[in-house]
Amino acid sequence: MQSVTEEESSSIDHEPRTSGDNSVWAHVSPLLSAACSDLQEGELIHGDNFNLFAAMSALEIMDPKMDSGMVSTFYSIDEAIESGFAPVPISSDRTVDVQSIIDIMDHLLACEATWQMGHSLAQTVFSCIYVLRPERTSSHALLHSFCRVVRATCRALVSVVSDARTNEEEDLFTMTYGLPFSGDEDAKGLLLLNAVEETICRQLRACKATSSKRRMLEELEPLQTNPQLEESLCKALLCRIRFRKHLLHALNCMRRPQGRGLELARKHIAYCIAELDSVLNSVEFLSSETFENGKNEMEESTTGSGRNPIGFEPTLNKRLSAPTPPRAIKLLSWKKAIDYYVKLLHNLDQICAFKLEPDLDAVLQFVVQFQKSRPDLVARAHLQLLLVQDGKLYGRDTFLTICARSLALDVTKNHGLHLNEHILQLNQLMINLLKILCANTPWQRRKLGKILNDWSIFNVQMGITVGHMMQQVTKPRTPKNGDKSLLILNHIYGWVEEQIHWVALRFLVLGFDLELYSPSEYCMVYWYMYIILWKLAEKAHMRVLIIVHTEERKAKKREDYSRDLAREDRISLWVLLLKCQTSLAQGLTVMIAALRNEGMCLKSQGPFNTESEKFIQHFGLLQKASLPKYDAYESFSESTCHAFYLPVYECFRDAQKMAKEIKVGYANDPDKLAEVVGLEQVAEHNIIAVNLLCQDRSLKVSFEFIHHPHFATAVVRRS
Amino acid sequence: MEQEGAERSTTIVASTSEGSSLDPIARVRKLLFRQMLVGIKDGRFFLGNFHCIDKQGNILLQDAVEYRSIRRSSPSPTEQRCLGIILIPASCRTSCHVDCSIEEQLSLIQLKE
Repeated sequence: MQSVTEEESSSIDHEPRTSGDNSVWAHVSPLLSAACSDLQEGELIHGDNFNLFAAMSALEIMDPKMDSGMVSTFYSIDEAIESGFAPVPISSDRTVDVQSIIDIMDHLLACEATWQMGHSLAQTVFSCIYVLRPERTSSHALLHSFCRVVRATCRALVSVVSDARTNEEEDLFTMTYGLPFSGDEDAKGLLLLNAVEETICRQLRACKATSSKRRMLEELEPLQTNPQLEESLCKALLCRIRFRKHLLHALNCMRRPQGRGLELARKHIAYCIAELDSVLNSVEFLSSETFENGKNEMEESTTGSGRNPIGFEPTLNKRLSAPTPPRAIKLLSWKKAIDYYVKLLHNLDQICAFKLEPDLDAVLQFVVQFQKSRPDLVARAHLQLLLVQDGKLYGRDTFLTICARSLALDVTKNHGLHLNEHILQLNQLMINLLKILCANTPWQRRKLGKILNDWSIFNVQMGITVGHMMQQVTKPRTPKNGDKSLLILNHIYGWVEEQIHWVALRFLVLGFDLELYSPSEYCMVYWYMYIILWKLAEKAHMRVLIIVHTEERKAKKREDYSRDLAREDRISLWVLLLKCQTSLAQGLTVMIAALRNEGMCLKSQGPFNTESEKFIQHFGLLQKASLPKYDAYESFSESTCHAFYLPVYECFRDAQKMAKEIKVGYANDPDKLAEVVGLEQVAEHNIIAVNLLCQDRSLKVSFEFIHHPHFATAVVRRS
Repeated sequence: MEQEGAERSTTIVASTSEGSSLDPIARVRKLLFRQMLVGIKDGRFFLGNFHCIDKQGNILLQDAVEYRSIRRSSPSPTEQRCLGIILIPASCRTSCHVDCSIEEQLSLIQLKE
């Protein structure tokens, strides 16, 4: 023992941090053990600066959960390579080589999907030695180009997500510290992959060709040595290569400024989906050897063939991220990875299909619709980058233009307005709003609640300025020089108020999506929704009047002026939809309140907090933003404590009637139509439920979201 | 800086010359805040400031740096990593050295006898 430690101490002298000339490393183990045996139980030797709390946070060496430096399978990547863990080529038998490459491709797909679902790159895609060290494979064109393209794709995605900064909660996504990312080399991968694809195409053609033609193609070497497998292996490789190629193209197209590449991206996405289908179909051939007993194994496998891929070691990078080792992760199965990609591609397609109208109403409705399918981070980041570029909508129009457009005003003449401090602030608020709307739903709701305060402060400030200016202008000396800045500011002031209510409504509605409300709280939620919806409908209606008024005036002035009637209709329909929802919310509030007053439905009394406390917990942020301006809880309890059934019929009937009208208007829009049909059914069923309840008070009633995700349907049961 | 180091070493010499009469605990106490190099079973070394030791012989090092060789075979380049405060359990410790002057080392050796 002594001799070993002496040897070590001599080797230590080569360490970079030996002390000065006169000092040496003294061996102190015997002294320490002597001291330890003299110590009392529980006694420590420590200095004055010792702090037990800090000492508790020490990293424990050789603890597998804390010490990432512990030697696992390999000391380093180099050692792994030297030990033949990731050979190039993978096998001298070319058939096995090709099969192994297909396994690697499949496993990489599973790794990428796992990464995009919220794990680190280091543990997923970069657990592959071929991806970590692509220069090693340069002699093997297929493997080399594929790995390069995988890296380029990862790079593209990291850049999208970090530019969009949608990753506040998914912060592992962009962590690339210590990973090799060489952009220029990876960019060449696509060219090489194209060449490889072409060769395999020819090999496929050659093996299909009849013997007469074969002679012409004879100089072409087949992909591998087993002629019976040639066709299927070629096909399996081709669909995987093409998927990669089109995916990278699609991502690159989507990044073009002002949405110019969306059309092309859509084509690539369509190819991707088709190729993914072929990838999925190739499983039958690939797994024919490996799975004989049941499909259970297949569901868990990360490759199509069910074999374990060569060259992957997730512990290789574990010292990169933090002093403590990352938690072990479970990769998605290959099937689930494909499902993930199908969903991602459909979400991206949805974005590409968006018409980029310079119309804020259309944008907001699109984002809300898009979020319904709960898109993942990558898709949301793309949407956000498309919507907000260089501080403008789609990188084209300033938000002043967009705002003014939604009021049918023209701001091209009023140059000064762009520099108005309120307009600058509004621009920032709009950018923030759009970014938040692209975030994941829990985060989105939290942030919406917080920005409501900013919006309401802004609204008050703008109100003061505009009011002040209006007073000055009423004096007759104002020149008429065609500068409508004040008028525009005044209209925008009204529009901001509408926007605040829209945000508040979105905040309330997201609570249903996130299942934050318990059935005993529905009464207060619907009451609040009613208050907000009512105000929103009023503001929106005002806007319709402004638009109609200005358009009529313009039409009068110039006969050739063509009014955008489609847009007028669209906004009017939207107002009607809001009114329909207002009636439903009102009906539900009164109905639940009446049930509670009669003791047929539980009041929200728990052992922990009172109803007023729950009210504050749910709506505190709205009240902070003075929505509504009066004491909401008082008003709520007053308006609901004497509720009875009669007005319910009217509310639901109104809603039903309006829904019928709206349905005609939305005949060409299947998404909207489905929503309106849902609203209509909620009204219809609730009328029936109220009828039954009036006749028989012993019935049990519960509220379920059968017809609409946010408006409950009363379900009546005997006993 | 150099002067400071020299001063320190002289104080240590002074304290250790009478050191042989001190008990081991007091001597270990004198080693606190010195640079300590600890080797462990899997071949890694940790260099840090000696912060604390308990009866079981578990050592706390502050501002520790880990040195590990890249390959299993013995002469190989090392890789280093800063870890902050670490706890090295006595069970995995194989060697332990403290940075000191030659005179001091002599007195430490005397101590052992």
